[in-house]
This record gives sequence, structure tokens and C-alpha cells, in this order.
Amino acid sequence: MIHSLFLINCSGDIFLEKHWKSVVSQSVCDYFFEAQEKAADVENVPPVISTPHHYLISIYRDKLFFVSVIQTEVPPLFVIEFLHRVADTFQDYFGECSEAAIKDNVVIVYELLEEMLDNGFPLATESNILKELIKPPTILRSVVNSITGSSNVGDTLPTGQLSNIPWRRAGVKYTNNEAYFDVVEEIDAIIDKSGSTVFAEIQGVIDACIKLSGMPDLSLSFMNPRLLDDVSFHPCIRFKRWESERVLSFIPPDGNFRLISYRVSSQNLVAIPVYVKHCISFKENSSCGRFDITIGPKQNMGKTIEGITVTVHMPKVVLNMNLTPTQGSYTFDPVTKVLTWDVGKITPQKLPSLKGLVNLQSGAPKPEENPSLNIQFKIQQLAISGLKVNRLDMYGEKYKPFKGVKYVTKAGKFQLGRFGR
Amino acid sequence: MPYLGSEDVVKELKKALCNPHVQADRLRYRNAIQRVIRHMTQGLDMSGVFMEMVKASATVDIVQKKLVYLYMCTYAPLKPDLALLAINTLCKDCSDPNPMVRGLALRSMCSLRMPGVQEYIQQPILNGLRDKASYVRRVAVLGCAKMHNLHGDSEVDGALVNELYSLLRDQDPIVVVNCLRSLEEILKQEGGVVINKPIAHHLLNRMPKLDQWGQAEVLNFLLRYEPRSEEELFDILNLLDSFLKSSSPGVVMAATKLFLILAKKFPHVQTDVLVQVKGPLLAACSSESRELCFAALCHVRQILRSLPGHFSSHYKKFFCSYSEPHYIKLQKVEVLCELVNDENVQQVLEELRGYCTDVSADFAQAAIFAIGGIARTYTDQCVQILTELLGLRQEHITTVVVQTFRDLVWLCPQCTEAVCQALPGCEENIQDSEGKQALIWLLGVHGERIPNAPYVLEDFVENVKSETFPAVKMELLTALLRLFLSRPAECQDTLGRLLHYCVEEEKDMAVRDRGLFYYRLLLAGIDEVKRILCSPKSDPSLGLLEDPAERPVNSWASDFNTLVPVYGKARWASISKCQGAERRGPELPNTASFATAGPLIPDENKERAQELPDSGALMLVPNCQLTAECFEKTWFSLKVAHQQVCRWRGAVHPDTLQMALQVVNIQTIAMSRAGAHPWKAYLSAQDDTGCLFLTELLLESENAEMQISVKQSEPRTETLNSFISVLETVMGTIGDIKS
Repeated sequence: MIHSLFLINCSGDIFLEKHWKSVVSQSVCDYFFEAQEKAADVENVPPVISTPHHYLISIYRDKLFFVSVIQTEVPPLFVIEFLHRVADTFQDYFGECSEAAIKDNVVIVYELLEEMLDNGFPLATESNILKELIKPPTILRSVVNSITGSSNVGDTLPTGQLSNIPWRRAGVKYTNNEAYFDVVEEIDAIIDKSGSTVFAEIQGVIDACIKLSGMPDLSLSFMNPRLLDDVSFHPCIRFKRWESERVLSFIPPDGNFRLISYRVSSQNLVAIPVYVKHCISFKENSSCGRFDITIGPKQNMGKTIEGITVTVHMPKVVLNMNLTPTQGSYTFDPVTKVLTWDVGKITPQKLPSLKGLVNLQSGAPKPEENPSLNIQFKIQQLAISGLKVNRLDMYGEKYKPFKGVKYVTKAGKFQLGRFGR
Repeated sequence: MPYLGSEDVVKELKKALCNPHVQADRLRYRNAIQRVIRHMTQGLDMSGVFMEMVKASATVDIVQKKLVYLYMCTYAPLKPDLALLAINTLCKDCSDPNPMVRGLALRSMCSLRMPGVQEYIQQPILNGLRDKASYVRRVAVLGCAKMHNLHGDSEVDGALVNELYSLLRDQDPIVVVNCLRSLEEILKQEGGVVINKPIAHHLLNRMPKLDQWGQAEVLNFLLRYEPRSEEELFDILNLLDSFLKSSSPGVVMAATKLFLILAKKFPHVQTDVLVQVKGPLLAACSSESRELCFAALCHVRQILRSLPGHFSSHYKKFFCSYSEPHYIKLQKVEVLCELVNDENVQQVLEELRGYCTDVSADFAQAAIFAIGGIARTYTDQCVQILTELLGLRQEHITTVVVQTFRDLVWLCPQCTEAVCQALPGCEENIQDSEGKQALIWLLGVHGERIPNAPYVLEDFVENVKSETFPAVKMELLTALLRLFLSRPAECQDTLGRLLHYCVEEEKDMAVRDRGLFYYRLLLAGIDEVKRILCSPKSDPSLGLLEDPAERPVNSWASDFNTLVPVYGKARWASISKCQGAERRGPELPNTASFATAGPLIPDENKERAQELPDSGALMLVPNCQLTAECFEKTWFSLKVAHQQVCRWRGAVHPDTLQMALQVVNIQTIAMSRAGAHPWKAYLSAQDDTGCLFLTELLLESENAEMQISVKQSEPRTETLNSFISVLETVMGTIGDIKS
């Protein structure tokens, strides 16, 4: 299926290659570079490229391209998903998925790739199984290793490989039995200049961190399960039970995993927690303009909105900006024309604002485009959809676990102002 | 780090690896090996230390083993004689008490990829298949496929295949999936692994235990199984229901495809399934991974073609955001254009109008074309938007709007009046060939409604000397002549000047010939000119949107979840043909498309040609000599029976092409010089029944597409199709050698 993998950085160096069948020459990447040149911006390289002998399916993650070479017809989503899994694994092992991290750990990278694919087919990809096969590098372990000369490869075969439930290893033991759930919701929204919502949707996930001994059988119920529109499940969840009773019933994997992901898209249910008033005006025949932006809380359910960052893509003719923020700090990159304002949190007594002058190229015509804003924020202890976990029950084991649920809401693709308006 | 040539590095590392002090110190030894691996991964040739590395493989340190094995797999094909030395150690490791070492050794041994290794790996593989550790069995099962590949295409080992079939009942789910993968490769020549009823039901029961990759692949294998009864069919569908809600888009897509194919006789079930996966698909369309979004959007377009209303209420999901990559924006615009209906047309058009002024010219133009597409149904609103866009006086916008107008008046004649009013003034903002051609065509055909049309054309004639595009000059000739028919007084003088220029001064032969032709036509009398030039000005029948009922789900179900939706069917056909022609031997993905590839083999002889009737019922006669005159006569007397384009990179090398065509008994009548623009060739061939195939090849400019037009003296579709596939194979092969 996947013949070879090339890792390529932004400047076009192939810094790692791995072949699972015969060796494919690096020159196959020339087709990729050709497409990259055509695309002008690295972000725009199409994910599927065909060459006379192969297909190249690539993903772009953290400024790196993962280019897979495929020789037979394959389901594209399958390959894309797998490549992301490879990148996720690197991220998980090295803390970041960067060229430097991969080069520093090149040996582990090869070990991982060897276990994740054999003959081009995906094998072990579950992070907790991989971690038993190949221990992730830690500072402590590398110190210990260098003294004792021991390796970072597990000496025993992961027991999970023999258990009847493929996602859980047998004989798990913890002294503190804990089960934590994070309900994370992201708001994707497009809001036009007048402040009315063009489109809004909540993408939610429940991530779990389960450290329970033995073979616990959990069931998680919600106060308002009807809220969830489209739900996709971790394979451990019993689908029939959800269909009939709207209860999540499952034997969990050991460690961290994503339990469900869901969408809430009925527009009236999606609350928009912030509003932004922005105004940019240019005078005819003048190389100056005014810029003014204010942020305030809207439907925030009484919680504090924090971690606010505003990014504005200014028109090309803008030379520089001279602004004063009432709080936080701002930067303007005159090359990419991106204004970034790090606001912090909103205190309702004094709304944060950023005002000042915009300098244009002299003689350039008044810019046509109206810049659009992207905004990031975070609200702790709130799931904006109103989703609430009712209770968590455990069967099959005798001990009493410690349970916890955390809620957080973030901005996803949150955009204000539209193309050209 | 200072740059060291690979020789110095090899020498230094060799010294380190041989040093007994290093060998004694486990850490230093491993570090030296790690350095070898690091250099290897950076593309330096490290094969020089092969001997030393083989020695290093005899160790208890499992990391060191792994590294050495990795090294050996890379360089074994280069040093087969030395690699044989390593096999001993590997064989010993295959019976190590630690299952991980066993698996590792077996995997490395199977991946050595050097001739002669088969005899050594056979026994360890057979032992591995019966190993008690599932980890080893997984490796051994895939090892069977690797061993088969090493053997080349030799006969299939029946006993091994039976063993693999029985391992489908293994209790480890990954062993089961690996068996399927392995059998599929081994039995490729016989059509792959057979899924009968017991196997199918066994797999269905194991599904929940598989990991997501296994699930997706098993769903794909199940496509081969045809349920015996309706009851069985619905049982299967019920069992698989939950996979439509899987968290992995790959599994969802594979399940959807299986549902669509199994329920091919139950359209309502198919529609139901598509409703069910709407949610997961939409979620994938807004996934964090842009590549997933892209692939999902391509599939959304595919579904929309049969069910135009399917995503209409979700149209806002397909609004572009500023920061998305280009390829996603373009897909979204296409989707918007397809899902438009009475309720959302206003909002969609407003959104698209916003994109028209985007900084990226490509994106803006795509949005304008999309509005043009919607205009076929919602003409008035769209023409108004397009007219407003002209007011921006931006070059890249104006040219596309005018092209859209040209297509629109042809399909929707009711908008002609509005278009004619919008046109004056456009000529100042058009510089490119396509835009100019469109404008000139409009002025020529509808000039009687545009007051200043003759004067605009006159300006073009004034500047004809500096015009760089021959196509524009051709268009100008035709347009001016047409306008002359409706407004003779204003055009006569200009036309005279243009004809004079074309006949006396023009360097491009095609333009000059066209000029001469019109001149002689005018001599033949005005009625004759009218008869020839006044063709219909529109053809609304083309503009009606294709009836979705004519594109049933079944027509694309088998393409779902493949690369076809990513490329579009037509482009895919040409890509896979080109790829196919290059690939021979065990890698053939689809034997059917190679039925006619036989005669391409260079040591072609007459017997080969005789074999052709089996594959396509076509036999071309080797020595059909047609004179050029005879060809010309027949060419003009026949209609084009088939026309298509194929991908072509770079320039044409006529000699190579001629030789390749000769091999398959296609004669070349005439051909342009290498590098001529446009490049043309005329070919002829005759089959055993005396039916003639005449072909024109036309390459407009470099790196474009080769247009192929075929005429046939007796209309018989089967032989025509066979002939075309022979021709395509030749073109595909030559085209790829060139690139």
C-alpha cells in the first residue's frame, strides 16, 4: 500500500526517507517539488499528485511535508489519515513534530516506522502499544541509559497484543485508580461586518485519560444527550447501547484516547461569546488611514474569556501601523502584513481596544479589500453547547475510582468580516 | 558540522567499528553504529562498512540488533555475497526465546531483497506461521508475500496459500488482516484473495475487534462478496451499520462504499446511507487536517452530481475562510456551484461575489466561472453581478467575465441583450489571448446590437501588427467578416485593411491561409459568405443541466473512496492509462486495461500481431500504404468518429513516435517538424477487413494536451475502441518516455 515515505522540509530538503518495499529513487520527489513551485505558497501544494509510475499523497504538518509514495490504487482518506497518525506519534514521542526533533531522534523514528508499517501495511499505531514496544525518550531515561547502557526498547512483548480486546492490554495495575474526561469544544464561526452570524458550529470532543486497574466496564451518561448531532465513536464504544439508551458504554483503552467527537450545528444553539467592533478607514488621496478595534463579551454565561489573540491580514499597500492598545501588546509584520494583537483576558469594566494610524505606500490607490479578522480565545469550565456529564459508573471491578470532568471552550476557525465586504 | 566526503567518513567509522576497545564498550559500539545509520539516512553511501556491521549483529543488545538489521536491509542488494554471511545470525535469532527478537529477525530476513535469499527464508517463515507469539505470526504472514515477490512471477505455492487461508481463523485480529493482504499479493495474477460465504461471515464477525486500518481494508475486501439472498444482504448491512459512525473517516468511507455497492438494486437504501454519512462527511470537510478536508470535499462533489439537493441546507459549511489553502477554496467554490437551489441562491451568490475580488487572481477567476455556471439556471441575477464586476476595471476579472459571457449567450440566449449592454468599454481591460478572443467573438456575432462594435474591432485591426497571438488574429478575421454582413458600411474599409495585412504581411501561415480563404469567399459573392458564416448564434439545449437521474449512484459507486473523485473521471482515465502503459509485470494494477498492450513489446513479430484478435477483435494489416492524396480525400469525406485528448509533456520527437507507431502497424502519412507549433501528424491504419482508420494528432503548444481525432471508413464501434486503445497505449508510452 504505502511504498515509501519521504520527509521534506519547507526549503525542499529531503531529510529522511524510508522504504517498505523496493527502494524508490528520490527523484520521484521532483514531481512534488514541481507542484510546490507551481503552488507559490507551501500551504497550497495539492495533497494528491500523480506521476508516471506512482501517486504521491502528502500531508503538511508543522512546516514539514510527509510525502508517501503509492503504487496501486488506494483509498485517499485512508492514507491521509495514516500519515497524520505518523505525525501524531512523532509529536507524542518527541513533544514536537519538527525537523530538529526528528533528526535528533532519527533512530527512534526508524524504529517507529518499522513497527507502524510492514510491507507497506499499517500495523501497530495505537500509542500505548507502541510505547511498550519502543519507549519514548526522556531526559531521565537517557541519563540512566547512558550510565547503565540499557536500551529504550521494551524487553518483553506488549501484553496488549495478546488480549482479546485489541485496544486494552491485560493485567493493568494502578495504585491510584483515576478516570478523567476533558470536554473540549471549539466554535467555528463566520461573522459578518454588521455582527450577525453567517455560520456557526461547535466541534466538540471528549478526551479521556483512564488509569484503572483490571478490566473496568464504564458507562458515561449525559444530562442532555440529544444535543449531540453527529457523533463518531472510539471503536471501544458499544454503538447499539448508544442508539437505544444514549449512554456511552465501553471498556476503555489504557491511558489517553479520544472517546467521542461530535458536532452541534443548529445555529440557535451556538452562542457567540465575544463581539468585535472594528473600523478601518482610508482617506482618498492620503497615505494615512485610521484603525480602531474593540472587543467585548457577549453570551459568555458569566465566565471569563481569556487567552484572546486577534490576527488581521492587512491590505498589501499598508506600510506600517502605529497603534496604542489599552491592554496587551501588538506586533505588525510589514512583510506578511499580519497584525497580531495579544489581548489576554476581558474585564467587563474596561473593554480592551486598539487604536491608531495606518501608513500606506505613498501614491498607492485606496485599498479595495476589507481585511478580515481571526480571533482566538478560551473559556475555562464551560462547554458552550451546554453539554453536561451526568454520571460515570463502573462495573466489573470492585475498587472505587477517582473521577473528574473538565470543560473548556475555545475558538476554532473564528472569523469576523468577510471577503471584500 | 564540517562537510566530510563519504569516503573519509566510511574510513573513520570502519576504524571505530574494528577497534576492540570500542567493541568492548557497549555504549561506544552502539554510538558508532548509530552514526553509520545517521549517515545512511542522509544519503551517504555506507556500504563500505558492511563486513563490520555484520559482525556487530551478533549481540544481545536488541537496539543494536535493530540498527544493524536496518542497515543490512538497505545495503544487502548491493553486497549480496556479504549479506549471505549475515543470514546465519538471522537464522539463529529466528529461534531466540524472546518473541520480539524472533519477529525482528524474521522481518529483516524477509526484507533483504537479494537474489538467492529465498531458500534460506522459507523454513523460518513456515516456523513463524506456527509461532505461539502473535507478533511473530504477523511478521511471518507478511513474509510470505515478500517471499513470493522475491520469486518473481513463478508459480504460486499451493500449500502456503492453503496455510494462509487457514490462518484467517487466527485469534489475533492483525494476523487475520495480514493474511488477507498477503494472499491478495500472492494471488494477484488470479484476481486476488477469494471471499466466499464462510470467509465473509467470519470477517464480518471479527470486524469489531480489528483496528481502524484493518476495518477499512476488510470492508474493501468484502466488496468482492455477493450475498446469496436479500435476507443475507440486509443482515450484513445491519451488522455494518455502526461503522458508518466510526471516528475514522477512512472506515466511514469504506463502509459507505460497501453499502452503496451491496445495495445497488435498492436505490432507497443507497439514499438512506448517503443521508447517514452526511454528518461524518461534513465533519471531515471541516476537519483540522486540510488534506482530509480536500479528499472529503471531492467526495461531496461526487455525491452532489447524483443528488443535487443533498447538501443544500448545509451550504454555509462550504463558505471559504481566508486562511484556507488554495485547493480547498477551489473545491468549495465548485461545491457551492453544484448545491445551489431556489432557497440559498441569494446567499451563495453574495458569498461568491465576495470571492471575486480576492487578492489571489486564480481564486477570483474560479469564483467568476462558478457564477457563470450558476447563471445557466439563475441567469438574471448572475448577469447583473458579472456586469457589476466589469465596473472594477481589473484586468484579471474582466477577461474571465467576458469569457463567461461568451459561454452564457451561447447557452442562454435570453441574456444576450444584457450582455451586449455591458460590453462597451471592456476592451481597455483585456490583455490576454483568451479574453480577447471571447470579446472579439461576441462583437462579431452580436455586433448589430452593440453600437460601437465596428470601432472596437477597428482598434484591434489598427494594432494587429503588434498582436502576439495568432488565435486572436483568426478570431478577428471571422468576427470582422461576420460584422461586415450586418453592418457593411462601417466595416468595409477595416475589413479591407485587415485582409490586406493578412495576405501580404502576416507571417503565420494559418492566419494567412484563413485570410486568403475569406478573400476568395468574398469573391464568390455575399450570399455564399452568408451561407457559410451565419451559423446559429446559440444552442440553449446544451445549457439545460444534465438530469441527475441520468447519473445514478450506481454509475460512480465503484469509484467512491478511490482517487477517481479527486481527479474527476475523465482526467483519471487518462492518468491511469498513462501509468498503466509504463507498468509491466507483477505490478499491473488492472489487467483489463492492458488487453491491447501486447503489440507494444519491441521484439514484435507477425505472430504477435496475430494474437490481437483475442484481445480486441482488431488486427491491423502491416503494410497498408496509403498515398497522401488518397488519405486527404478520404479524410475530408469522413466524419470524426472519435475525439479525445491525452496528456502530453514536453516536445514531440517525431522519429520515436513514428517508429513506435510502425511497431503496431500504424503508418505515418505526414508529420510536422519537431518543435513546430502547432504540431500535427496524420496517421493511417487498416485492419484485416479493409476498414480504414485515419487519425489526426494535434499538439497546440508545449506541455499541453495532445488532441486525437479518429475517423473510420466503416462505422464499427468495437474495432474503433480497440484501435483507440492501441493508439493511446503508444501515445501514453511515448509521452512518458519524453517526460
